[in-house]
Amino acid sequence: MPEKDRETEDIELSFPVNAAYVSAARLTASSIANRMNFSVDEIEDVKAGVSEACAYIIRRLVTSQRSGFRILFQMKHSELRITIETDGSLTEPADDGMSLVMIKALMDEVAVRDCGERISITLVKVHKTGLFER
Amino acid sequence: MDYSVQSRFDQEKKCWSVAVSGEVDIFNSQDMKKSLTDLINEKNADMTVDCAGLEYMDSTALGALVAVLKNVKNYGGIMRLRNVRQNLLKLFRITNLDKAFVIEADAETEGEKNA
Repeated sequence: MPEKDRETEDIELSFPVNAAYVSAARLTASSIANRMNFSVDEIEDVKAGVSEACAYIIRRLVTSQRSGFRILFQMKHSELRITIETDGSLTEPADDGMSLVMIKALMDEVAVRDCGERISITLVKVHKTGLFER
Repeated sequence: MDYSVQSRFDQEKKCWSVAVSGEVDIFNSQDMKKSLTDLINEKNADMTVDCAGLEYMDSTALGALVAVLKNVKNYGGIMRLRNVRQNLLKLFRITNLDKAFVIEADAETEGEKNA
């Protein structure tokens, strides 16, 4: 890991289980990727990756006032790391094949941890056109 | 979220001409699917979807378009997509759906090809 990547600027957001707010997650992802000087194409990849991950998680979460999910954006020197985690009860797995195919094609690293009680999706976009200086 | 479907029936070409604009995702993709399916059920005909104003679509929106495509194909019709932005074309290619739809290149894409 590059020395400068040990320091990150983090932004964490909480969302209810409501598909109406996926656009807000997308807009935030786009704004953060833009601040990190990613290219236009890379910003589109990040936007779509976050949107698909949110949709994947919303389909699995039971809608209730106590359910929701959190998104952690970690802005590193050479990469943007995004972790989306559930907070609440889960339903049975749905057919999410297309979501995962898209996420894996758009991001540089993807890790999906689904233990049945909790889901965590980590997405990484590596800087190819330049490095992020705070 | 801004999203709209505008449609008219072209009597000459016997084809639905539909313009979808805005962002279509898990929140409104079922709504788009219903709007397009209702048109096909009203009049079995070909359908051309103009995507010039379509800024973003996710996998649920792609799934909705596939459902409409099946409906159109059921009676031997053709579904065309027109003016699809580059960021959305990429999603069609990733999912191999570029082979399922008739996607007509827009002027910008043609220009890039000929350059």
